[in-house]
This record gives sequence, structure tokens and C-alpha cells, in this order.
Amino acid sequence: MKPQIKIVIAESSEIIRKGVAAVLKHIYHNVDFFYANELEQLKLALNRHKPDILFINPILVGSFGFNAFKKNILSANTKTVALQTVFLEQSILKDYDRAISIYDSEDFIGKKILSLINEPPEKDKPQNVLSMREKDVILGVIKGLTNKQIADKLCLSVHTIITHRRNIASKLQIHSAAGLTIYAISNKLVEVDD
Amino acid sequence: MYKPTDKMSLLVTSHYKMMLVMARFGIALGFGDKTIREVCAENQVDTNTFLAIVEALLDVENKTNFSVKEVSLKAVLKYLQNSHSYFLQFRLPAIREKLSEVLQNGNSELSKAVLFYFDEYVAEVKKHMNYEEKTVFPYILSLIEGKPKANYNIEMFARQHNQIEARLTEFKSIIIKYYPIKSTYELTSVLFDIFTCEEDLASHNAIENRLLVPKILKIEFDNLKI
Repeated sequence: MKPQIKIVIAESSEIIRKGVAAVLKHIYHNVDFFYANELEQLKLALNRHKPDILFINPILVGSFGFNAFKKNILSANTKTVALQTVFLEQSILKDYDRAISIYDSEDFIGKKILSLINEPPEKDKPQNVLSMREKDVILGVIKGLTNKQIADKLCLSVHTIITHRRNIASKLQIHSAAGLTIYAISNKLVEVDD
Repeated sequence: MYKPTDKMSLLVTSHYKMMLVMARFGIALGFGDKTIREVCAENQVDTNTFLAIVEALLDVENKTNFSVKEVSLKAVLKYLQNSHSYFLQFRLPAIREKLSEVLQNGNSELSKAVLFYFDEYVAEVKKHMNYEEKTVFPYILSLIEGKPKANYNIEMFARQHNQIEARLTEFKSIIIKYYPIKSTYELTSVLFDIFTCEEDLASHNAIENRLLVPKILKIEFDNLKI
């Protein structure tokens, strides 16, 4: 059984509210729905139900912008989906975690929503955690191997190695081989007598 | 901004780091109530150059146009050379000694890696400073004498500084983030030394970037017109 989630749908048209709920019910069975048809009602609903996901028609928020709304009213754990009834600019949609249109297929909406549900909340996202491959690349770098040698050893392209190295540098803020050696020893990526 | 008629003691008590500038010019402390001009004259230091360097160090927003300032380039070069030997012969070796003492109690492989990193860094600073003394400064002297060496211009050198500063910043963050050693007064003290050394190096580079380079660019430009 999938965990139960709470969804608030904020949209002025009842037909659209119910329609969206019906499609979502197909996609994810264990949902509690709450509705709001204007802002004041929405504030109450958010406050009372603390939903996991808010589906909202961006037109409802109006000109003062979704970011201000998110900051002042939404809890940080509530994910947001823009529900478009008309075509909207990307500059408006970028403030939402996902965007769907009432003309999208169930399949398409399903993929988007399931990926959103499975996404860990912002604060739980692993930060600066190295992948196994990146660790392998570090080991190569501190042994003094060239990018080409590391690529051959790991059966990857030189281009991929360069990408890994760039990601390592941005995750750890370490750019030199000598710095990576310190990191590798203190994080036990290498045996001490290696 | 400070004037030649201001008291030297006023400058130094307000900005203690200016003591480093004085040391590099070979000016002794104990100047009582003498003015900046008087102290400079007694120590055979060009007052305008001294004040320009002070101004460059205090001018964090980089507002001053140094290419129009009256400075003695020879005095600036002497200042920079003394500053180099301060870092290479005094400051960095002192930090290394302290660092190696602190690291003695930790994991030996790790300590070796940390010292290796530091040594590599120092080698880089040394290489850069040697390059300045062997290539850049002689070029500037040839420019002052009106017989500029061909195939070189100051812009080639102006870009190199950021790397050196970035390296020390990286070292600091590696120690803080990844070195699992108990935070002791000794360790804190070394880190403070590294922080101040980082600032000193940045201001040393600032003199080169803000005062020296614009001045040379102006001479190179004027030479072009002839």
C-alpha cells in the first residue's frame, strides 16, 4: 500500500477541480482531496490540511506572484504544481515544482506527478555526496593518472572523466590533486597503507 | 585619505596592518609625533609612493586611479621585492613549522598529505614570485630607463594572481571541512595565521594589480604614441 498523500486543488472551475481529482485518483489511489475556489479559502485549506502537494491555477495567485505566496503562506514541505487552463509563460511556471495543462494526457500527467511524489523534500536532498564513479575518478587522480589513463581504466570516455572531475570540483570545492588526496584519506576512500 | 602632513602614528594606530608596509620599506617604529613626510624622509623613502601603497591597501573598492599618481616605480619595485622575501623567507616557513607541529598528533598519512599540499602551494607562490623578479621587474626597469625589452607586456602577467589566492582559500576550506582533528588552540592559531597570510597575499597582489599594472599600462600606452 502506497502512503497516503494529501492534495489541495485550487481552481475556480468546479468541473476542472473534479476532473483533475478524477485523473489523479487514477494515477495514485491513496489520495485525500481538498478543494479551494479562491485565495482566502485556499489559505484556510492550506492551514488546516498541510497538503503534500498543491495543484493551483497560477491565475488564482494573480499578479503578486507565486514566490511571495510560497514564502508567506506555503509550508516548505508542500510541493507545488501549476495547473494551466490557458497557455502561460515559462517565466511564470518556473516558480512551481511541476507544471501540467488541462490538455495533457493522463499518461503524461502521471509521469510528472509520480516523479514529484517520489522526489525527496528539499531539505533531505543529499548534498555534495559523491557517486561511486566519482570516487573512482578521485582515486585515479590522486594516483597521478592522466584523464586518458583514468578513462581507460574505468572504460569511460575522456569526456566523461572531465565531466566527473568538474562535478567533483563543484561538489567538494577542491580543484587540485593534492587537495583531493587529503579528502580521500580523511574520508577513507583509500587504505592508509595504499 | 592620508596626507604627507598627517602624523605617522595616526595612520599606524588606525590601521595596524600598515606596520607591514613600514617593515617592507625598512622604516623603524618609535617615530614619536613626526609626520608621514618626516618619517619617510628620514628613512629615504619616497613619500608619494608610500602614501600610494597605503591608499591602494585601504582602497578596497578600487576607486582610485593610480595611473595618474606620482609614484616612484623603483620604490614600488623595492617594496614588492621586500614583500616577496617576507612571504617566502618568513611568513610561509613559519606557518609550515607550526602546521607540522600541530599535525604530529594526527593520522600520519593524512598529516603527510596536508604538508604535501602546503609545500606544493608554497612552491607555486615561489615560482610566481621568482617569475616576477626574473621577468616582470626587469621588464619594468627597462621601461623606466626608456629602453623597453621587446616581446613582453604587462597584461600577460596581470591575469595570474587569482589562482594563487584561490589555492590558499581552498587549503583553508579543506582543513576546516575535511581534516578530522580535534580543534585545539594550536590548530586555531595556525588557521588564524593562514587566514591573515591569505589577506596579506591578497593585498600584496592588490598593489601589483591596482597600482603597478595601471601605471605600466600607461607608460606602455604613452610609448606607443611616439
